[in-house]
Amino acid sequence: MSTEQAEKNVELQKDLFQPAEKQALQSDTISRPSLNFWQDAWLRLKGNKGAIVGLILILLLSFMAIFGPSMNKYTYKEQNIAHAKLPPKIPALANIEWLPFDGKDKDGFDMYKAKNVKEAYWFGTDELGRDLWTRAWYGTRISIYIGLLAAIIDFFIGIAYGGISGFYGGRVDNIMQRVIEILMGIPHLIVVILFILVFEPGIFSITMAMVITGWVNMARIVRGQFLKLKGQEFVLASRTLGASGNRLIWKHLMPNVMGPIIVTTMFTIPSAIFTEAFLSFIGLGIRPPEASLGSLVNDGFKSLQVYPHMLIIPSVIISLLILSFNLLADGLRDALDPKMRK
Amino acid sequence: MAKFVFKRLIYMVITLLIIATLTFFLMKLLPGSPLKNQEKLSPAQQEIILDKYGLNDPLPVQYVHYMANLFKGDLGLSFQYDNRPVSTMIGERIGPSAYLGFQAVVFGTIVGIILGLLAAIRQNSLLDYAATTVAVLGISIPSFVFAGLLQYYFAVKYPIFPVAAWEGFEYTVLPTIALSVFVIATVARYMRSELLEVLSSDYIMLARAKGISSFDIMVKHALRNALIPIITLLGPLAVNIMTGSLVIENIFGIPGIGQQFVRSIMTNDFTVIMGVTLFYSVLFIVVVFIVDILYGVIDPRIRLSGGKK
Amino acid sequence: MERLLDVQNLHVSFDTHAGEVKAVRGVDFHLRKGETLAIVGESGSGKSVTTKALMRLIPNPPGRIKEGKMLFEGKDLVKISEKEMEKLRGKEISMIFQDPMTSLNPTMTVGKQIMEPLLKHQKMKKEAARKRAIELLALVGLPNPEARMKQYPHQFSGGQRQRVVIAIALACNPKILIADEPTTALDVTIQAQILELMKELQKKIETSIIFITHDLGVVANVADRVAVMYGGQIVETGTVDEIFYDPRHPYTWGLLSSMPSLDTEEGIALQAIPGTPPDLLNPPKGDAFALRSSYAMKIDFEQEPPVYQVSPTHFVKSWLLHPDAPAVEPPVNVRQTQRTMPQNFDKPVLVGGGR
Repeated sequence: MSTEQAEKNVELQKDLFQPAEKQALQSDTISRPSLNFWQDAWLRLKGNKGAIVGLILILLLSFMAIFGPSMNKYTYKEQNIAHAKLPPKIPALANIEWLPFDGKDKDGFDMYKAKNVKEAYWFGTDELGRDLWTRAWYGTRISIYIGLLAAIIDFFIGIAYGGISGFYGGRVDNIMQRVIEILMGIPHLIVVILFILVFEPGIFSITMAMVITGWVNMARIVRGQFLKLKGQEFVLASRTLGASGNRLIWKHLMPNVMGPIIVTTMFTIPSAIFTEAFLSFIGLGIRPPEASLGSLVNDGFKSLQVYPHMLIIPSVIISLLILSFNLLADGLRDALDPKMRK
Repeated sequence: MAKFVFKRLIYMVITLLIIATLTFFLMKLLPGSPLKNQEKLSPAQQEIILDKYGLNDPLPVQYVHYMANLFKGDLGLSFQYDNRPVSTMIGERIGPSAYLGFQAVVFGTIVGIILGLLAAIRQNSLLDYAATTVAVLGISIPSFVFAGLLQYYFAVKYPIFPVAAWEGFEYTVLPTIALSVFVIATVARYMRSELLEVLSSDYIMLARAKGISSFDIMVKHALRNALIPIITLLGPLAVNIMTGSLVIENIFGIPGIGQQFVRSIMTNDFTVIMGVTLFYSVLFIVVVFIVDILYGVIDPRIRLSGGKK
Repeated sequence: MERLLDVQNLHVSFDTHAGEVKAVRGVDFHLRKGETLAIVGESGSGKSVTTKALMRLIPNPPGRIKEGKMLFEGKDLVKISEKEMEKLRGKEISMIFQDPMTSLNPTMTVGKQIMEPLLKHQKMKKEAARKRAIELLALVGLPNPEARMKQYPHQFSGGQRQRVVIAIALACNPKILIADEPTTALDVTIQAQILELMKELQKKIETSIIFITHDLGVVANVADRVAVMYGGQIVETGTVDEIFYDPRHPYTWGLLSSMPSLDTEEGIALQAIPGTPPDLLNPPKGDAFALRSSYAMKIDFEQEPPVYQVSPTHFVKSWLLHPDAPAVEPPVNVRQTQRTMPQNFDKPVLVGGGR
């Protein structure tokens, strides 16, 4: 800095050197509104494009699962052999060249004209002439049911088991942990398959099989969190103030475990949906005439070479469904518990 | 360390015993009779056969007998395939399954590590986003769907590879890719986050402060520490490869254990189902055991303290 | 004495989603051979960023050195290539970090980690490097060094690990050793040991030390000169005596009044500095400390203060030294120990304008 400039600085008005009025400590006033944990998490989630895409997809697919099957006059099991194996046709989109909804097969041959069919099957039909639109959304409905079921099981059995084990600790925990360790050692799918063999394949056996195996991971996470939190000062403080066990669990432990619980649940859903689709695919899940996305994909393989739509449509739906839940789960994990990234 | 290995070993044995017991009682609960062509046999003949196989003994005796047989590697006889021993059937089919599974794990792990590495080095670049997208698609698209799409596009529509069969390397390409997608995605995701964590750690900063070049830091410090936890993925991946093989082998016509398993499900061939189930369980448990030990051997923190936690 | 290191007008910024965080805003300081300079300030004052910038260890993105010079033996560290910088790091300038628990690679033996800079910079053969590493471990006071070479970091206690980190930093006899709060994470008794060790080693290998701390007690113990940082700027520098016995900046007063000492008379309370450090995303206009200062004048909210020189070694960045400023009394805790320094000029001399 040159002296000239320094000189200039000296020629400052004298009144500037009066003591400033005592101002309120501006640095202490909080300019941003205070956010609680959930508001903060929601803000972070909103900023995650993947999670928002996932959420929108889930809403869209759920809407279709609920209302899709009743959007046309066909039912999921109604057969019409005369209309078997029709390619998809949506009249409104039929004139768009690159979309496969013109009712023509892969050689460009209009099957609807050939078979003299007046109705339009939006997703085409299968080899028994059942409407694939209705069946696909019906299958989505089952997938979502299974996903929700898994979440509920996680919630009730997993949290209870893990909570009890972690909260009481000691011998109770020891025994409960041994049980979990052994359950972890058994491949889940194997248990599910065995279970389904003993009962009849169908939605009930899948449900039961998941009740038996689905909660182990959640139990481990809840237990770990409980054990960790139990030793922390705020819980000890509450204990010394005479808080009851109930109060400790519901007021202190649970709110702090909710983050990991929600994240774990969100990851359970897509894996449950996959398990159901997988079982149905190998013939152990939903049996015809009911439809599951897995069995639809399996049906699709039979006519892969001639009617690829029968494979591609349910494939895309199941993939989107699992993808959307994974995206949302990823986003939730980042928003709720950054430490769980892995 | 010895204590740690011993403890894991005990758990392994207990788990196996429980699975075997579970399998035995489930067999007993199963509907139907183990006799083939039941309707053609007279009640007296049936009795003779049941006696011969010890099926008229009281349950505890049968249980002991069953466990003893298991111990000898005898998994019983198939209902469908002319009473062939299940163990022989598994033995004959293990080759293609093992080959495919191994190829998929190796290919998937290598590609996954490279993908995760690139994503971590170029964090928040286009490459990173691409790798992350591939990874989330990879864990989301079910293997049977992916296999179907591969088969349709690369064998039917553009016949680059054969549709199905087991006659040489080109027949393994599509099934290997289909099986390894999940492996690639899982390893890449894990590798990326693990490497990012390591790279932002204090000891990497100290290594830089020592004047070590970026390349040496990556090779000598970061990669090693990021790769060690990848070993823990091998257990879940083994399970995934096993379940994946059930559908992939069917789709691509590979004469492996998975194909046999699904066929047996279709034909209610219970002894085979149980045999394969047990076989898979043992495989899984052994993999988990090896992974645990391996992790202990490689990570000095665990090696020296003699156990996790 | 010659200046080993001369930092001029250093600006370091981080580009975040919210905007540019100006962590260091025009810092000037120098370091002479063999001396210890302490940089003091609360967390977020930019002291760690300044030294990481010296080592060019600021992760980029998001961080970058915006302008300024860092002259080390005539070479500008801002301008040299990464390759040249690698040659300096660990050899000419080395660094000790705050947390010894995390600053060693957990899967590499301690021996290897000490040998690394020797192999890289001194081009030693493996056997020679091993011998030297054992010497170093003995030098930093670890018993049984040969056996410890083969051990992993988790087999060392916190204090022992910090000794290892010091051994690594000293491996190539660096000209400058930067210690970034090296004792903060340690127990008080271990702190004293580590400080003693550093002082002793400094004598042996004649290195200059830049010591970053927020603990004035440590400063009094180790430093020759002190630079007080606030809001990304150096607000006062001087010799230890000048800073402790003749402080001029209200922030330094605040720091001193909040520190307990044996000299503090009974009945005099320790004074906390009210408020929190400024948000460097939008640095305040004028004097960054004005908001928290009870000595603030109107001009403090309008113009950045210039630097005044009080003695050959004592510089203060505050409007309070302007001839027109009213005479103010420092807080009572400071007044108690205040002395007139013999080298002081008759009145402060303006040496630099506000920016």
